[in-house]
Amino acid sequence: MSDPSSINGGVVVAMVGKDCVAIACDLRLGSQSLGVANNFEKIFHYGHVFLGLSGLATDVTTLSEVFRYKTNLYKLKEERHIEPETFTQLVSSTLYEKRFGPYFTGPVVAGINSKTGKPYIAGFDLIGCIDEAKDFVVSGTASDQLFGMCESLYEPGLEPEDLFETISQALLNAVDRDAISGWGAAVYIITKDKVVKRYLKTRQD
Amino acid sequence: MNHDPFQWGRPSDAHYGNYNKKIAEASPYPKMNTQQPIVTGTSVISMKYDNGVIIAADNLGSYGSLLRFNDIERLFPVGKNTVVGISGDISDMQHLEYLLEDIQTENNYDNQYANEEEALKPSYVFEYLSNVMYNRRSKMNPLWNAIIVAGIEDGKPFLSYVNLLGVTYSSPSLATGFGAHLALPLLRKVVDDESDVEKTSIESAKAAIIESMKVLFYRDARSSRKYSLAIVDKDEGLIFEKGLQVENMAWGFAKDIRGYGTQKV
Amino acid sequence: MASTVASEYSNEVKNVPIEHQFNPYSDNGGTILGIAGEDFAVIAGDTRNTTDYSINSRYQPKVFDCGDNILFSANGFSADGDALVKRFQNSLKWYHFDHNDKKLSLKSAARNIQHLLYGKRFFPYYVHTIIAGLDEEGKGAVFSFDPVGSYERSQCIAGGAGASIIMPFLDNQVDFKNQYVPGSHGTERRKAQYLTVDEVIKLVRDAFTSATERHIHVGDGLEILIATKDGVRTEYFPLKRD
Repeated sequence: MSDPSSINGGVVVAMVGKDCVAIACDLRLGSQSLGVANNFEKIFHYGHVFLGLSGLATDVTTLSEVFRYKTNLYKLKEERHIEPETFTQLVSSTLYEKRFGPYFTGPVVAGINSKTGKPYIAGFDLIGCIDEAKDFVVSGTASDQLFGMCESLYEPGLEPEDLFETISQALLNAVDRDAISGWGAAVYIITKDKVVKRYLKTRQD
Repeated sequence: MNHDPFQWGRPSDAHYGNYNKKIAEASPYPKMNTQQPIVTGTSVISMKYDNGVIIAADNLGSYGSLLRFNDIERLFPVGKNTVVGISGDISDMQHLEYLLEDIQTENNYDNQYANEEEALKPSYVFEYLSNVMYNRRSKMNPLWNAIIVAGIEDGKPFLSYVNLLGVTYSSPSLATGFGAHLALPLLRKVVDDESDVEKTSIESAKAAIIESMKVLFYRDARSSRKYSLAIVDKDEGLIFEKGLQVENMAWGFAKDIRGYGTQKV
Repeated sequence: MASTVASEYSNEVKNVPIEHQFNPYSDNGGTILGIAGEDFAVIAGDTRNTTDYSINSRYQPKVFDCGDNILFSANGFSADGDALVKRFQNSLKWYHFDHNDKKLSLKSAARNIQHLLYGKRFFPYYVHTIIAGLDEEGKGAVFSFDPVGSYERSQCIAGGAGASIIMPFLDNQVDFKNQYVPGSHGTERRKAQYLTVDEVIKLVRDAFTSATERHIHVGDGLEILIATKDGVRTEYFPLKRD
């Protein structure tokens, strides 16, 4: 367990619904088997674009700041917020820049394009390969479990409240089968004009 | 007192018995068994058809990249309705050949039913071989081979595989080694499924096997042009064709190949 | 066979012999699961057998009806799996011979299998084993084992290559984990209840189509063995072959 991407533990998942997207993460930060914090959120936002970062905690924090810096400069230059599609390319090139000494993270982008109103999600590997999915993306130490849950629970065209239930059940049951994920969860339901953030009550073992 | 200076300071034989010299003289290495194949035979390929099975293997025995022996027979008939095809280490193959001869001798000796109700069936031969292979691997002293047993049992085609690990499986088409990568996709175009077997004639099955031996000769560097082919047919019985050659090759493309070697373009 | 082991990251060039040893194990992929109902139990397994990226067979059953209403499957290294099944079937035969054809109870079968596995503690059978049937009260029962014989009884369990994909789904849909009564605001758990055979088969098929979609070593076919008081029944469903 000296693999950098599974020292701290944690997961992120995102799903597409009807005119909405959802992104969720657990709240655990650990040092191998030792739980260190139960308030370590892995989802950040830059304007209306949401970014989930699972993996090595130091890189999660560092990258979230790198993207704050880069999106601020983007806003200064372009005089508008960055769109999810554009941000996805930014994440990819930022990660590939460090191709031979990478950040050990599994990023997930979610958001709704403010111009077209199209829901958008994307996932990446640690060196920036883009996985543009039309249904769901998963990442983190319980990714196998999340794949199993999402593949069986997900259906296209869910309304925001049903999407919330689906992503929550997927996350909850996945992290309960991973020893280094869990300890609380946060879910964002994103629609064109509203973002709802909920904390989930979870098992504490 | 013992006046031999080499015995001074050593535990006395009177108290401890003779010193076990084997310990001091032991090899610095652990006991070693077969750790790698030496002379090897390449792929065996096989498939079922409506009335039986076909199996083929070439006649080459390779010593690394040296084409060391070119008249090695790797298909062994066992009784009247079984053929065993063996790839991998040739000396281990010859040991298996001896074992197969031995079970036939044992079965036939003083047995008036040996040609009928007590004849060796393919499943018996396979069960025996798979137990030999699994037991040898469990002693960490494997026979370095992959084996296909083909035949007819109770009027139906029989085809099974076992290798040096004792891993066994069966399927309407089987191949060992490179054949599993290059030939099996071609054979599966004919018999993808157990239900395809009864729709496949001996002619189309034989054509697929011959075509596969050609593809293997094209791309497997440890293969030879000369090969043997055996058919176990429900009506015709065992048909053993030796000394066959890969025919109808198209080497026209070869002159256009560039970039693999050092030739000037 | 001494040779130089070094890379740009090491400070000194080390000269150690590279040891090469015969590896007696391989991974033949596949996945299995067991679910216990009120008066029945099932074990399901895919029928694909693999080594590395090759599909050895698209139909190589690995769930067996061993008699006495005992379903058995050992998933992992298939040579060990087959050997274990044979040893258990043999053990069952001797039990009948020694005890006047007395039926072997599932919990005794479980204890027996623990000893078969632990007997090879220092050269283990590389398999995840699941058995299923009915307990002494006629209720569905499933037992699962690790490679060296630790075992427990459970309502449902997944094993093999796709276990981590299937298991949380089973927790959720069979044991109703993380499900609460609507309107109770997470204070009242959804009550446990037995599933019917038809519901179980639906869940099993969903579980395996998901695992097939996301795992390359799972696919081709799904074989479900169902044990009831009337005996063992088999169902087969095709899965994707890619």
